[in-house]
Amino acid sequence: MIYFQLETTEPHTTMPLEINIKKNPGTLEAGAVTITLAGSLDTSTAPALEQKITPILNSEVKDLVFDLVGLKFISSAGLRVFSIARKKLKEHGGQAGFINLQPQIEEVFEIMKALPGIAVFQSEAEMDQYLAARQKSYEGS
Amino acid sequence: MTLELQATPEEVMRAVETLQAMGEERDLPVKTLFGLTLALEECASNIVNHALNRDACRTFSVDLELTENQAIIELRDSGPEHDPTLAPDREPSADDDDEPPGGWGIQLVRRYTDEMLYSRTADENVLRLTKRLDPK
Repeated sequence: MIYFQLETTEPHTTMPLEINIKKNPGTLEAGAVTITLAGSLDTSTAPALEQKITPILNSEVKDLVFDLVGLKFISSAGLRVFSIARKKLKEHGGQAGFINLQPQIEEVFEIMKALPGIAVFQSEAEMDQYLAARQKSYEGS
Repeated sequence: MTLELQATPEEVMRAVETLQAMGEERDLPVKTLFGLTLALEECASNIVNHALNRDACRTFSVDLELTENQAIIELRDSGPEHDPTLAPDREPSADDDDEPPGGWGIQLVRRYTDEMLYSRTADENVLRLTKRLDPK
C-alpha cells in the first residue's frame, strides 16, 4: 500500500506547517512511513501534527522517519509530539528517525539531548540502509 | 514595540512573527534570532497555556526592544503568581523518558538568553528576558 497525504495548517499565520505523509513503496505493512515537515512546528501547529500521526502510531507501522528538510522553527511543543511518537513506537518495538535537520533545529535537539532512542541520519543513503536492515529483521521475525 | 495579545497559540505566533521581522530588519544573525524567537514562543506559550488557561477573552502583553547591544523581551500577564526562573536548572539526560520538571521550554529559554528576571508587580507576572547582541 502506498499512501500520500499533504496538508498545510490553517493560514492564520505566516508561519504555517506543511505535513507530507508518505508510506514508502515496497515495504510491508509494518514498514516505514516518512513524514516531511516544512515551516514552523510550534505551539500553534503542533496539535495538527499530533492529530495527523496518531492513526499511524496506532497502526502496525514500526518505523517513522521525520524528514525536517524544510523545518525552520521548532519549540518544545514540537519536541513533545516527537516524544509521543517515540514512546508509542517503542511500545511495539518500533523507532522514530530524523533526517535533514537544519542547523538551528539540530542545535535544539542537541541542547535537549532530545529524544533518547531516536536515530538521526546524516544522509538518505544512511537512512535507506538503516530501514533496509530494520525491514530484514521484521521479515526474519 | 508593545503588543497586546489574546491568550491563544495563534497570538503567541503573532508575537513571534513580529520579533522575527524586527530581527531581520536589524540584520541579526539567523542563530541569534532563532534563539530569541524560541525563547519568546516558550514564555508566551507558558502564559497562554498555564497562567491564562487559553481563555481568548484574557490578554497579556509583550514588549519587544532591540537596541544596539541587547534584545529585551518583557512579558506581562495577570495570571496567578508564578516565577518560571525557579524551575530546576537541569541538564537533559539521554535517559529522560518524560518531560523534565518545569518543562523543556524553560531549559531552552535559559540556553538562548543571557538573563531571565521575574517580578510580581501590581498583581502581574513580569518576566524580562535579555540577550546581548554584537554591535552592528
